[in-house]
Amino acid sequence: MVLQRNLLLAAFAVALLAPLVLRDEYLMHIGVLVVFSIMLATSFNLMVGYVGEFPLGHTAFLGIGAYTAALGASTFGLPFAANLVLACLFSAAFGFVMGAVTLRLRGPFFVIITLCFAEVLRIVANNWVGLTNGPMGIAGIPKPAFLAGLSMLDQKVGFYYLGLGLAALCVYAAYRYVNSNLGRAAVSVRENRFVAQSVGIWPFYIGLLTFVIAAAMAGMAGAFYAHYVSFVGPEVFGFSFMISMIIMVLLGGKGTLVGPVIGPVIVVLLEEYLRDFKELRLSLFGLIVIAVVLFMPQGLAGPLARRRERAGAAKA
Amino acid sequence: MAPVLELKGVEAAYGKAKALHGIDLRVEPGEVVALLGANGAGKTTTFRVISGLMRPSAGEVRFDGASIAGCSADAVLRAGLAHCPEERHVWPEMTVEENLRLGAYLVSQRIEIERRMERIYLRFPRLKERRRQSAGTLSGGEQQMLAIGRALMSAPRLLLLDEPSLGLSPRMAKEVLAVIRELQGQGITVLLVEQNVHNALSVASRAYVFETGRVVAENTSQALLDSPDLLKAYLGG
Repeated sequence: MVLQRNLLLAAFAVALLAPLVLRDEYLMHIGVLVVFSIMLATSFNLMVGYVGEFPLGHTAFLGIGAYTAALGASTFGLPFAANLVLACLFSAAFGFVMGAVTLRLRGPFFVIITLCFAEVLRIVANNWVGLTNGPMGIAGIPKPAFLAGLSMLDQKVGFYYLGLGLAALCVYAAYRYVNSNLGRAAVSVRENRFVAQSVGIWPFYIGLLTFVIAAAMAGMAGAFYAHYVSFVGPEVFGFSFMISMIIMVLLGGKGTLVGPVIGPVIVVLLEEYLRDFKELRLSLFGLIVIAVVLFMPQGLAGPLARRRERAGAAKA
Repeated sequence: MAPVLELKGVEAAYGKAKALHGIDLRVEPGEVVALLGANGAGKTTTFRVISGLMRPSAGEVRFDGASIAGCSADAVLRAGLAHCPEERHVWPEMTVEENLRLGAYLVSQRIEIERRMERIYLRFPRLKERRRQSAGTLSGGEQQMLAIGRALMSAPRLLLLDEPSLGLSPRMAKEVLAVIRELQGQGITVLLVEQNVHNALSVASRAYVFETGRVVAENTSQALLDSPDLLKAYLGG
């Protein structure tokens, strides 16, 4: 755990300094995508890695966050900060409702019903033209006020630092979560439900609380995305975001803190550099997932998490 | 004296498969009582019903006179009834200390948790030596001690122990029995499931014999030990 924390602090320091070296619009754009993905992956990892359930409809929270920010900005003219908070609150509230229904189920049933929730939201966003402008989406979401009037490069750098701050907030929240009674209880339920109940843990409550936290994080990512891209359409509920979340978390290492940081860096870079391969790119990702599941089920960060055990055994 | 625990006509089922067909039993304060029987006789299911992990389909469960049938597991634990599940399940990835700490999950005062932990370390010095080690690296006997210690972290008045000597060496099994006697000395009532009849009867004052979801005999340990025919008839051993 200490090793993971130090690695994260080091990564944060590098990330802070990166824009000083990389004075380039395109590279900064990639940086923004990375920090955005870290928020999503960290959120998804709380459920997959710690609670041990697989919410295949996790994009629901991303979408709700994005639409909340889009509507807040375009219809009500709210500033970025207000939209960010509202997006967290709305996503968390929806996470509560969705969790209260779906966390009574387990395994494949949980997976499918959460997916249904996201699909329903996508269809609503596509058809409720009066609110969401349907498939045309909501365009022209303004940039945060403090970035107005800056050059393109400085705007990107501004977004990068903003996103980095938010991502760091998510990772810190995850760190606190893992080291709290709540996180330990979640792991104990994942490892052995009956024993967890025998010490008085109520699995449903643990799952629900985690789901709400994860939803708030994903909602925050959604609001950030909306203000960065300045356009939100129904595809925020779509499956492509889901796929990248899954790949990032599995590749990076589920149930670790470093995993959802490593995963996004690799996946975003691969996505950019494999652009030449067009459709083949997704097939390559498919192969990567298969390889990870077969040969490295703990992901890239798995060995880090296991180190502790060996260190403990060596001391005895 | 009023019984600590009383079951009346308890029935329970896994889906459509009925596992308990009307169990009656009572445990007096300070007693050690054993449940005997072959695999699948319903002992573990009875434990699950008592500790709230399973909802009985019929019947009554009373703990200190209050009905706890169908209560959630955390409510039952809060009332002072702890369940140490079979196969000495600990959380192998967590340290010994984390395992113990989770045993006091419902206790919010830090000082109280530390005090209980000290008491348990005093009783099981091996655990103290290994408190920073992950539980998966402990030997079978140590894991069993950890599982018992974890159950004791909730400071129960009644402890359900499911097969505590399963898979242990005879020496470790003796050690577990000694712990049970000690618990009794501290005024904790123990209800015990045990495959090894002689071990069980050496600590328990009374025993219930289970067969296919029913209680088929109930007697003092002495009487059961004195009539091997009776035991053989029910347990085939």
